[in-house]
Amino acid sequence: MNLAKYLEILPKSLWVTTCNSGSCNGCDIEIVATISPRYDIERLGMKLVGTPRHADVLVVTGPVTKFMTEKLRRIYHQMPDPKVVVVVGNCGASGDVFYKSYNLDGPVDRIIPVDVYVHGCPPRPEAIIEGVAKAVLKLENLKASLEAKEEAVS
Amino acid sequence: MWGVVHTGFGSWDALAWILFFGIAAFFLLWFRSLGRSDYKKGTDQDEIFWSSNVVPEDGAHISVPADAAYWGFRKGMEPFYKGLVGMHTGLAPDIVGWYVVVVAIMSVLILIV
Repeated sequence: MNLAKYLEILPKSLWVTTCNSGSCNGCDIEIVATISPRYDIERLGMKLVGTPRHADVLVVTGPVTKFMTEKLRRIYHQMPDPKVVVVVGNCGASGDVFYKSYNLDGPVDRIIPVDVYVHGCPPRPEAIIEGVAKAVLKLENLKASLEAKEEAVS
Repeated sequence: MWGVVHTGFGSWDALAWILFFGIAAFFLLWFRSLGRSDYKKGTDQDEIFWSSNVVPEDGAHISVPADAAYWGFRKGMEPFYKGLVGMHTGLAPDIVGWYVVVVAIMSVLILIV
């Protein structure tokens, strides 16, 4: 895979897909707000897509119930590389008040690698946009480290 | 064979169609070549996305039959259809018999009204 090539064009237009791994829908409503005219993430080149096959960023909400564990893992593995995972909400980050619940496999980072955490219950749309923007920085850092490696080799 | 056929409403030119399909195939293959070929073959990246579930092996479980579009119509008309199915024997003399009876009733109604 020519990672450097994709990292060059990716941060300019991230396509985001979401997975509700057992959330109360509070965070999902805030994610929907980010695509509303008031916050409008499309002006930043981001947009929600309906399938992980087209996505660069996976936004996960919820503390990952046992029912959702395999589904979340499958969604992650179906995304093309390079990819970034953003956890939105306290539940996904730590389990929040459900952390001792009998039916949880989460939080999310026990199931798949997480790059950015956005805290809040639910976080405001501005915070979610900032989280995805940090994902952009992460991709840019990855690109810089790849270039540095290439320079070191040559 | 390769000439232009004029139908009175338009024309049919086999060469023009071949040219059209040739141009369409060129663009199709060009767009296809722009796609990514570096996905991880043999992994989940290679699988159909089926709402994050395991893809059923039986295709009938994936596809929605076209007649599903008429489900509500059939459900709403169920009492009527049940009556019709009950009367339907599949025998031609019975069907002709029903035809004669219905035509007779309608003729009587038309004459009366």
